[in-house]
Amino acid sequence: MKLNPRMLSRLGLNGSFGLAMTELPALHENIGVFTADLQNFSGLDRFAKDFPDRMFNVGIAEQNLIGTAAGYASEGNIAYATTYASFAAMRDLDQVSVNMAYMQLNVKLVGLTAGFSTGILGATHICTTDLAIIQALPNITILSPADGMETYKATLAAADIDGPVYLRLTGSMNNPIVYKEDFDYHVGKANVIMDGSDLAIIATGSMVAIGLEAAERLSGEGINCKVIDMHTIRPLDKDAVIEAGKIGRVVTIEEHGVVGGLGSTICQFYNELGISTHLLNIGVPCEYTKAARYQSLLLKYGLNSDSIADRIKKFI
Amino acid sequence: MPNEEKYIQAFVNAFGVDSSVVPTLKFQGIEAWDSVGHMSLIAELEDAFDIMMETDDIIDLDSYEKGKKILSTNYGIKF
Repeated sequence: MKLNPRMLSRLGLNGSFGLAMTELPALHENIGVFTADLQNFSGLDRFAKDFPDRMFNVGIAEQNLIGTAAGYASEGNIAYATTYASFAAMRDLDQVSVNMAYMQLNVKLVGLTAGFSTGILGATHICTTDLAIIQALPNITILSPADGMETYKATLAAADIDGPVYLRLTGSMNNPIVYKEDFDYHVGKANVIMDGSDLAIIATGSMVAIGLEAAERLSGEGINCKVIDMHTIRPLDKDAVIEAGKIGRVVTIEEHGVVGGLGSTICQFYNELGISTHLLNIGVPCEYTKAARYQSLLLKYGLNSDSIADRIKKFI
Repeated sequence: MPNEEKYIQAFVNAFGVDSSVVPTLKFQGIEAWDSVGHMSLIAELEDAFDIMMETDDIIDLDSYEKGKKILSTNYGIKF
């Protein structure tokens, strides 16, 4: 299917995921999709219409979601399971730990609306801890795409991974476009989307577009940033992180808590290798917030390009 | 290309239909014009006319005829 980045942007990451799913049965005859009552919200309405015998709605029962998907996967099938990221990482955590991490069953868990995009639903649906939680479990590949097109590719790539996957979807409909044209996507291989030598921005998910915007503003002020799309959190592209460290200043940006996310992981990695670099982790402080619209919350926590550019200028 | 032709071509590209049926089309009137197809149409219209549509207009655009009205009234597209 020829991908139209503007259409995928309009659909948002959920819709891009749902569209990609319609391609999978032709590639893998043993695909099944499970959802905790979020079929249409997951962008799966077309999949459900075209492949009704592969679509399973377990209702608002996230532990059942993983258990049922795991049972399906234990028969030699590939199971995708969708729910809100907050529930994916917390409500069904024991099942994720046992059925996915420990048993390494072929379940691809899709965490919808990670970060603040369901901010109006408040603390129960906001999710800035999922990476911290899932990263603490062994054996789960963790993907965090930047835009609609990358989500499409990540969804297809997940099916080719033999084992459990967590696919983290951030942002909302009308998501900014990072990739205007088709590009090579490889799990575990970060993409350098802007070159520069003054500092390196390593961003993931929705913050890749924001990081790019900040870099473009800084470029106008004579600060040249390398911008890296770290679309795979595990396995981390260690070579890309090492190369970034050589610049001497690294800024990580994520729509996730500063505890246990991308920034923490990179910090730990540099420590383990004894790499000395100035590191600034931009993310969400460890706190709960009141319900608010998505853009308001991004603004509140400085996850917009102007705030990030200002912080980077102070950092250097 | 005249605007009317660009408009029809957007529907043809989004839904894979013949241009002759385009003026009769309504949202969910054909299989291809579901919610996903709708976003495909919006993307085609935005590319064709170099515009960014507002959310309300995206929601309101539910037929060929309505779309023409929205584009001409809100985006200055002359048909």
